[in-house]
Amino acid sequence: MKKTTIITFAVISALFLVSWIAKGMFTEGSSPFLDGFLVTLAAFLTLAIMSFLYKDNPYYKFAEHLFVGVSAAYAMCLGFWSTIVGNLIPRLSSGISEFFKVSYIEGDYNFIYFIPIIFGILLLMRLSPRGGWLSRWPLAFIVGTTAGLNFVRYLRSDFINQVSSTIVPLMIDWQGFGHFFSNLNFSATGQLVMMFSNLVIFIGVTCGIIYFYFSKEHTGWFGRASKIGIWILMITFGASFGYTVMGRISLLVGRITFLFRDWLEIIS
Amino acid sequence: MKVKLLIMVVMMLALSSFCFAQDNATEAGTEDTDTTAVVESIILPAPPGNLTGIDKPNDHGHAAILSWDLSPDDGAGENSVLKYEIYKWVPQLMLDINLVRDSLSVIQRILRNTTSGITEGTQADSMKIVFEKYSRDELFDIRNTLIAHVKQENTGLAEASNSYPENGAWLFVDKKPSGTKSFVHIGSKDFKSAGFVPDFANLYYRVDAVTIDGAKSSSKVLGPIQTSGQWYNTYRTPVVFSVLFFTLLTIYFVREARKGADLYVRPLGGIEAVDDAIGRATEMGRPILYVLGLGSAADIATIASFTILGRVAKKVAEYQTELLVPTYDPIVMTVAQEVVKSAYLDAGRPDAYKEDTVHFVTQSQFAYVAAVNGIMLRELPATNVYMGKFFAESLILAETGALAGSIQISGTDEIAQIPFFIVACDYTLIGEELYAASAYLGKEPVLLGSLKAQDYAKAAIILLAVIGVVLAQFEFGAAFVNLFEVAN
Amino acid sequence: MKRQLPFLLVFLFGAFMVFQYYVPHESSEFVYEFLLDWVMIIGIFALALGIWSLYTVSVDKIRHKKENWAYSYVTLIGLFIMVVLGFTYKVGDSWGFYSVFVISLMTLLGFLIQTSVSKDKGLWLGLSGLSLVVALGIAFTDDSWGIAFMTSEGLSNTMFTNFADFVLTPILATMFSLLAFFIASAAYRAFRARNILATLLLIAAIIVMLRFNPYMPFGLPEYMAKTSNWLMNVPNLAAQRAIVIGIGLGIVATSLKVILGIERGYMGKG
Repeated sequence: MKKTTIITFAVISALFLVSWIAKGMFTEGSSPFLDGFLVTLAAFLTLAIMSFLYKDNPYYKFAEHLFVGVSAAYAMCLGFWSTIVGNLIPRLSSGISEFFKVSYIEGDYNFIYFIPIIFGILLLMRLSPRGGWLSRWPLAFIVGTTAGLNFVRYLRSDFINQVSSTIVPLMIDWQGFGHFFSNLNFSATGQLVMMFSNLVIFIGVTCGIIYFYFSKEHTGWFGRASKIGIWILMITFGASFGYTVMGRISLLVGRITFLFRDWLEIIS
Repeated sequence: MKVKLLIMVVMMLALSSFCFAQDNATEAGTEDTDTTAVVESIILPAPPGNLTGIDKPNDHGHAAILSWDLSPDDGAGENSVLKYEIYKWVPQLMLDINLVRDSLSVIQRILRNTTSGITEGTQADSMKIVFEKYSRDELFDIRNTLIAHVKQENTGLAEASNSYPENGAWLFVDKKPSGTKSFVHIGSKDFKSAGFVPDFANLYYRVDAVTIDGAKSSSKVLGPIQTSGQWYNTYRTPVVFSVLFFTLLTIYFVREARKGADLYVRPLGGIEAVDDAIGRATEMGRPILYVLGLGSAADIATIASFTILGRVAKKVAEYQTELLVPTYDPIVMTVAQEVVKSAYLDAGRPDAYKEDTVHFVTQSQFAYVAAVNGIMLRELPATNVYMGKFFAESLILAETGALAGSIQISGTDEIAQIPFFIVACDYTLIGEELYAASAYLGKEPVLLGSLKAQDYAKAAIILLAVIGVVLAQFEFGAAFVNLFEVAN
Repeated sequence: MKRQLPFLLVFLFGAFMVFQYYVPHESSEFVYEFLLDWVMIIGIFALALGIWSLYTVSVDKIRHKKENWAYSYVTLIGLFIMVVLGFTYKVGDSWGFYSVFVISLMTLLGFLIQTSVSKDKGLWLGLSGLSLVVALGIAFTDDSWGIAFMTSEGLSNTMFTNFADFVLTPILATMFSLLAFFIASAAYRAFRARNILATLLLIAAIIVMLRFNPYMPFGLPEYMAKTSNWLMNVPNLAAQRAIVIGIGLGIVATSLKVILGIERGYMGKG
């Protein structure tokens, strides 16, 4: 190990200890030293993750590996209690429910809930070298049901409904040219701007769809329409990029507030 | 024993509060006469007329649609109608069951520790005081017995409602502001809920017009009507047609393609880059990282990504490069293992397949990102491929990869994340291109045939939109637009 | 048979869901809710596979002393501590020998890993047995906490929630906040790009980003705000709709191919 690594480690450990003791001494509560340790740990992990921006280092690796382990177990405990104990067991039998101290939910078709258990066990057959093919059945079930569900849902929401919402009148409140020119203005609710916007929407949707056309060569007028399509797509992506920036910065402010208020108590 | 005792207590409580409810019920029934007797100066509004009702169509039952003519005093004069109140007649049995339901809901709240919302002095509060004396185990037993009781009693509701107007009371359902001419009463299908409306039982409704002074006059009673569930949702007929249209179109082009029709597909930058990227990784002796995103195996984007993974894995096996597939969802992991394994088999190199090529990381969004970031910085993959569903983590992944100097190819159908991929990746498949990519990589005529069907559907949309825009200028165009409205 | 049956299942369930969509009746709804419950339950079984994969990959790293193998211990310790805490809970006020119990379980884990890694299996197996005896002894004799294998009280274990609040949450929030830096570097990357598409993207981004900037002269902010509103409401709407139609058709076509058994890549045969 390099000398600097050892020195850095010593300094960080010392700072951790100092923070722990200081937080423990000045925190009120039933277990101040535990609380002090936890806040210091949280701050240490926050800084360890942020240090990744400089470069990969042992502290980031530590936080990353800890994060992976803890979060995987957290998801498992949560899933076990909420799905297996909370949802499945109360429907299986009153005996098992009593054992797990949850209340049995009576139903006429509860025996059907043994099927997902069988599917689940088939899935676990993957671990055996010879029964692996059985694990495809539960996968087939999951993929089949969701494919059927998505097929009709998206056909309705992204196909039929989109046709009706693309149909916009291009001539709004049209009362002849004289009326149009005498009322000409550039306000957002004015006739000109509204008509122009509707035209842009219509052309935008059409050209956008043309851009996603795969089985025809994008040349000639078709190519030009497709080019307009990708331009409009890019403008949209830019706008949505710009829109997100402020939200992201406020997240950072939140973390910095934690460090300076909850840990260092410099600001209140 | 204790349970039986408790049921007796419940019944006692039920009876005592039943008197209370009865008061309410009689009040509701005879209110018109009461108010006129006390304050003579109040003028009654004219009642709403012509109350009609039908079973709500295209639903699972338990709901009725009521409509009425506005009271002549709606929006006029001193006795102007302020609101309409909808009442429903229920048999005595329903009232009795409702009391048991109330105690059930109190028990439920005690079991879930959510009793803080109960106000002191109410009926629920006194029930709470009684039930809190029991242990959790006992409460579970009581709850189950009560549920069974409610279920048993519910079967008699249809018969009990035949006794109208004897042995029952009017219950308040809802109120609507003046000017309202219809109301959809959506009852609960859960027999344990107080809003339960039984199917195939006689229902009676009435609507009261209420003025600002509280004077009411009731419409004629509507009934009996019955609710029921339907076996076909006519609102969804347009979807049937489009399912047929799309399925036939796909089958037609797939058959054409099988016959050997020459189907053109335009080149896609991101897809052409995949092969080069694998070659580059081989030259550099560095691995390829394939990220399937946060989607589950149920997301179609992930299914499309599996197909692409299959092609990539096959190429990787041929070139003998290393492949890394960290996954977020355990089912996705299972499927991806299957895909990669058989790709290696296809490439004739089953020996090169390692069990940990596809491995699970964790089912937590940012822990997953942290781990993948670690892989990018330590294994230094020559190419990162991101295909599937991505959320806020897209930018962290793509930027870290870009800083690490990898060639990056991405594709997602999450519209909000596409901009970040476009900025940070070398090639990005936008939306539908992700789905098309699987057909591209395979160059299988069958898959290309379905691409053709997709394109025809798009042409149909453009055509319909153009027709619609022209028709929208005219009054009769509205009928055309209505063809594409799918109500729930 | 082995290969065809799964595709038959896919077709049957897929076709059922398509028909179910048109039937509003209660019994159809009932089956629909059942099926959705099943998907969730199978997911938990799959999670066990996932955890197993995480465990084997980590142990494998340790066994072969791959790069950064030592950190795999951190993952495993985090994993097991959290599992132990999630399944045990405190009964009274005192903690009793709880920490000794947790530590003995951890050493048990360590010894087990050593057993699979080192050549001297007997020694490590013996030590594992010893720590197992200690753990079990405490579990049976100490009454101040319990093994919550039967109630969900494990989730409200103080240490479990502490780990969630002071390890999981801060790391998660910090990872999320890194986005602020990355969005800045991404913007810089877009700025250097030299083609018309990237330029369009950048201009639109700048207009929207600066819409509330009060430091700009000549009443520019007002125009910026108006332009960005128009951008969000008009071209954005059009492009979103085009993308949504494309994605929708992609999803519809892929689902159809899956149901009909044309697309089989997801079963490892593509």
